[in-house]
Amino acid sequence: MSELLGQLERVLEGGRPAALATLVSAKGTTPRKAGATMWVSESGAILGTVTIGGCVDARVIEEADRVLKTRRPKLVSMSLGDEEAWEIGLTCGGTVDVLVEPVDARNASDPLAVAYRAVRSALAAGRTVLAVARLDGGAGRLVVGDSGAIAGTLGDRGLDALVARTALERLRAATPSGVERVSSDEFEIPLYLERHAPEETAVIYGAVQVAMSLTVFARELGMRTVVVDGRERFATRQRFPAADEIHVGMPSEIAERLPATPSTYVVLVAHDYKYELPVLRHALRSNVGYVGMLGSRKRGATIKELLAEEGFTADELARLRTPIGLDIGARSTAEIALAVLAEIVAVREGRSAPALSPRAEMPATPALRDAHPA
Amino acid sequence: MQTPYGGRILEHFRRPRNQGSMAAPSASAEGSNPLCGDRVRIDLAIDATAGVVSEAKFTANACAICVASASLLTEQLRGMRLVAVAELDEAEVVRALDAEIPAARRRCATLPLEAARRAVATLTDHGIA
Repeated sequence: MSELLGQLERVLEGGRPAALATLVSAKGTTPRKAGATMWVSESGAILGTVTIGGCVDARVIEEADRVLKTRRPKLVSMSLGDEEAWEIGLTCGGTVDVLVEPVDARNASDPLAVAYRAVRSALAAGRTVLAVARLDGGAGRLVVGDSGAIAGTLGDRGLDALVARTALERLRAATPSGVERVSSDEFEIPLYLERHAPEETAVIYGAVQVAMSLTVFARELGMRTVVVDGRERFATRQRFPAADEIHVGMPSEIAERLPATPSTYVVLVAHDYKYELPVLRHALRSNVGYVGMLGSRKRGATIKELLAEEGFTADELARLRTPIGLDIGARSTAEIALAVLAEIVAVREGRSAPALSPRAEMPATPALRDAHPA
Repeated sequence: MQTPYGGRILEHFRRPRNQGSMAAPSASAEGSNPLCGDRVRIDLAIDATAGVVSEAKFTANACAICVASASLLTEQLRGMRLVAVAELDEAEVVRALDAEIPAARRRCATLPLEAARRAVATLTDHGIA
């Protein structure tokens, strides 16, 4: 669950009015990036932070108290001078814009509560949405889904329609959260477009050595990891301390029970067709964002032949990435895990994954390889 | 795909009979090989009056030998008396594969029978069989 949705749940449970402060824009060296949130309740309780504490949070708390009295949203812009920046642990200053809005947890039809319930439902269904807020002092929230479905309002139907079109384009381009100005003959309004995507989950079939590195690296990338195997002695907490979930049983049946959204990445490292075939029968016809299988080209071709005989189409089979991972010359199990996760990131971002350097085509020299034997 | 174990295994691996699970089996049991990872579950529908297996199905995430053995076994089980299932000979199940199964892979062939016997045993435990 995202930081914001987790906090909202607690605020709604509290049943008291509170102000939501969202860092919508940050320029220069700032300790937190756009999307950081903090709640200030009517009773003065604080949840979360938009900086790392210090003068900015203090100012936001003051503004939150005012917003709770006026019941009107406010955009607060703050410049951090070098001196203030030092005080909160930075070496130079920056500028932050924080949107502060009232939320009435006692009111089930509070616009923000309604909007974020829609966000939560969309995420549970594996959909990505944008929650759009006005930065011109107007209240409300419009939630636009990747299917074009909308929920909530920004207070004007014409504006909602205009914003929905823009948001859909940004969703399709996978644009991150940020500030944008929309304009038409009727409107000229700055907005904050807040992206909410289902949690990324790497589902790893085969509790082998590569899987151990995968769980560690994936966690660093902010992904949940799920390890699946039919063998109790391999799929253990001792071997996979970093895994979020470990499942032992019939892998194909576990695959049917696990979420299969575009944010789910299926990684087959069992190197055994007894798991690969049954899991692929499910994964290749599901909505998952990535399907990769460890193995040689020959092995991959054999697996694809078997699936083709069963009626899998060329398009379905083309989803299978095998041999798995980017070509970085991986030799150790950790390097293979690195190559796999790099490929997943590239697929997620729609990149072909060449090196950024113009010397990209230069191969590793023999001397360099010799210095680092496998 | 080639297997060194002959045509019958390959045929039943590629086109397994009775594959799938039952919504409400009379008895069901799973067998697993903890090291190689083969897993197979046998679902049985029982005609309690006649004391016979009326239908047998299997689900497997297993090697070709195990899948083929489960496929052949479920064909054999249909219509078989429950007492006879418990008495089925392992060697007979292996012979049905029509291939030389190395000793190290013998358990792959007998795992479905192990699961079927366990399923029948649950009925016996409940006084049904």
